[in-house]
Amino acid sequence: MGNIEALDRRQFLVTTAVVGGGFSLGLTFGTGEANASLEAPWGKTPAAPEFTPWLSIAADDTITVRVATPEIGNGVMTQAAMTIAEELGCDWTKVRCEFAPPARNLAENGVYAKAGAGLAYFSGRSTVEDRLQLGLQVGASARERLKTAAAQQWKIPVSGVEVANSVLTHKATGRTLTFGQVAAKAAGVKLAQEPTPKPQEEWTLLGKKSVGKINNAAIVNGTAVYGMDVILPGMLYAALKQAPVHGGKLKSYDASKVEKMPGVVAVVVVDPEAPLAELKIPFGMANSAAQHGIAVVAEHYWQAVKALEALPVEWDSGPGGQWKTTSQVYDAARKALDKPGSKVDKEAGDIASLDRQPKIVEATYLTPYSEHAFIEPLNGTALVTADGVEVWHPSQHSENGLWVAAHEAGVAPEKVKFNQTYVGGAFGRRVFGNDLRMVVAVAKKVPGRPVHVIWSREETTRQGRYRHMIAARFKAGLDADGKPQAFLARSASTPGLSGAGLLNTPFAGGQIKNVRYESEMLPLHIMTGPYRGPSYNSYAFMMETFIDECAHACGADPLAYRLKLLEGWDDEGWAKTLKEVAAKAEWGKKLPKGMGQGIAIANWGGNGKPKTGTTVAIVALAEVTTQGALKVHQIDVAFDTGRIVNQDAVHTELVGGTIFGLNMALNEELTIKDGRIVEGNYDTYPTLKIGDIPKINIHFGALTGHDRFAEVGEPPVGPVGPAIGNAIFKATGQRIRQMPFRKLDLAWA
Amino acid sequence: MAVQLTVNNQVQNVDADPSTPLLWVLRDHLGMTGTKFGCGLAQCGACTVHIDGIATRSCQVPLEAVAGANITTIEGLAVNSDHVLQKLWVEMNVPQCGYCQTGVLMAAAALLKQVPKPTDQEIDLHVSNICRCGTYPRIRAAIHKAAEMMSA
Repeated sequence: MGNIEALDRRQFLVTTAVVGGGFSLGLTFGTGEANASLEAPWGKTPAAPEFTPWLSIAADDTITVRVATPEIGNGVMTQAAMTIAEELGCDWTKVRCEFAPPARNLAENGVYAKAGAGLAYFSGRSTVEDRLQLGLQVGASARERLKTAAAQQWKIPVSGVEVANSVLTHKATGRTLTFGQVAAKAAGVKLAQEPTPKPQEEWTLLGKKSVGKINNAAIVNGTAVYGMDVILPGMLYAALKQAPVHGGKLKSYDASKVEKMPGVVAVVVVDPEAPLAELKIPFGMANSAAQHGIAVVAEHYWQAVKALEALPVEWDSGPGGQWKTTSQVYDAARKALDKPGSKVDKEAGDIASLDRQPKIVEATYLTPYSEHAFIEPLNGTALVTADGVEVWHPSQHSENGLWVAAHEAGVAPEKVKFNQTYVGGAFGRRVFGNDLRMVVAVAKKVPGRPVHVIWSREETTRQGRYRHMIAARFKAGLDADGKPQAFLARSASTPGLSGAGLLNTPFAGGQIKNVRYESEMLPLHIMTGPYRGPSYNSYAFMMETFIDECAHACGADPLAYRLKLLEGWDDEGWAKTLKEVAAKAEWGKKLPKGMGQGIAIANWGGNGKPKTGTTVAIVALAEVTTQGALKVHQIDVAFDTGRIVNQDAVHTELVGGTIFGLNMALNEELTIKDGRIVEGNYDTYPTLKIGDIPKINIHFGALTGHDRFAEVGEPPVGPVGPAIGNAIFKATGQRIRQMPFRKLDLAWA
Repeated sequence: MAVQLTVNNQVQNVDADPSTPLLWVLRDHLGMTGTKFGCGLAQCGACTVHIDGIATRSCQVPLEAVAGANITTIEGLAVNSDHVLQKLWVEMNVPQCGYCQTGVLMAAAALLKQVPKPTDQEIDLHVSNICRCGTYPRIRAAIHKAAEMMSA
């Protein structure tokens, strides 16, 4: 744990101080005025005594918590502060957060995270074990220092000091001091030993209270600064266009046609083949590669947009131009399934036994390329000068962003200042930092003035790093009892595909003894990347539809069949989520013709191991008219994360993930014409609106209490689609093997 | 040639290309970034403001069309940002990433002015903004609660 080492450097040693059972936090939550200072969430802390790089307390009692993870809507900022507050004993309304600067991490030798620790500390979530432990230690250590400083001032033993609500009280006399009044002294206190955080059983906040997002007030009054909202003195705007066929090149352009238009400052070409200075980088940089592009830089954004529209540009398609249509891509992917995949990802037992089983089930599935479609278009701001580069960016991985900026600007990383803004949705798209590289590539051609580069919605959509298109064929041999004894999976996709959601289930990952999974990579040019629940978001659909097909093949109830397959699986959470969701959704209730219930279960983050990750089981209630109009009436969700720390945050994230999975299943597909992505805006890439949302019930009754706080953002996206598809089958008899459902003919008679 | 308009009760003279969308007049020329850019095609509603009291997607309204108009943005929705909807958005923990929410709030506030006690169908019709995080159920619940509180 690199961060505990960081604490050590600050002489946070080990301790014996006792934290009393009567310890009361007295927190108040969620008032409108609180935390309104969370506007620009980077490095604006007034000079204040610092307890650790994660925490400072000012004389006016303001508590600043530094958060290494970008806040993408999943509540990491709130969670980080909440964890520290559990031990600190503070007034929640005095807590503000800012993002830990990656530059400081670099300057102070990994004070927040060891360089190159991948996603460990400047991305991801707040409930991983070492982050929880760190936050609790930071809070406890600061609290003991505050108590010690108060005791020294009162010349009493530390045991005579009580802490609540950012106030230190001398029990015997009733004298009080606020945190701010002793912060300067407290920060310098050296303890003989650091305190041990209290055991989970004594938590009064984590797992006990629901806390709203700490930055809500700044969001609703419009002051929260997202990347798009960065305005700097002398700032220019740029409108950007990249090769419309991914991997294509700029063939020609005529800057003279627009250079004299009002406000135009420069026409800038981005050439990814231009050499960059060598830099030893602790991150993989390939995914951040620039694309061939051209930008118009102007005084005002609209001037840049109009000039870019007027700019004559011709492109070379490159190899991607050979893919003329979507069906050409799908046909190639399906055809690849006809022969063994060139890579064997997993082999266990004897796959040849498959064909000896009395019953064979086989089916082919396909999921399309999908776009993240968050509301804040890609953008970023950079100021490149002779001294270095400063960037303001809605990143999903700020430390990676620092290195990308250094690399592209050709400066030492110490010369980069990275300001992490709020992020208007990310879902995996803003991890790579290729967007920031384009920003710096443009800005470095206009040094001395900050340049805010903004992708149009169409540019954002067509220059994505999409959810993988995956075609897969599954084949199972069922024994006389209906149980799969052997399972063969073949998939065709593009690099970056993983087995998540396919092999990471008890079905294919242990309960079935004879398994072979092989894959084929196609020479497709469309760029892909992480998309909420990467690969899992497709494989959970395929696997859970296939399990349903197996159940049907042997005349079994889909719920009973799954429970039978789970017999002997060393994680009661799977059966428990199935039973919980089935009970709550009244599984098997009588429904009129054209209506049906479907069930599905999947796990994200568990890597196929029991008692890891989050298991989600869903029952969907769907109706299909004879003409084929689909309506999803209700979705019931049960889950097992082990334990939870903030119930309301878990609830909202599960609802959001369910809706994300719903849209993915019903609506999302990017199509291809002459190598280009066709869809550009929400009119052609439809997204569910408020009136389209079914009743969604989140059930907490399947939590096993196992000692883990697994994540909730990605897990629900997996089982939504197959639950609906299986419900459609129940309602109409038509098996659903391809997304999106809105493009399928569901008519029945 | 400057165009005069009133934004949150302040008269503004904006000297910009008359085709500039009101969205970018607000953001770029007046520095008011609470009104968000999302799609530029009146699809997502992140840019919703009130023009003479009517909820409007400002990305589709050129500057020249709002000469003399009265504009209200999220910054001017309520003194101290204490509109009942803003308070409920915090209390009910509505936002996730939050980017779309100022536009949603402007649409919801205009609806409640027009229809003090909206039905679900009226909410569907008038609050047609896109929230990719999926906060819709909380948005609906907060609007209904606001209607109750305002009529109480």
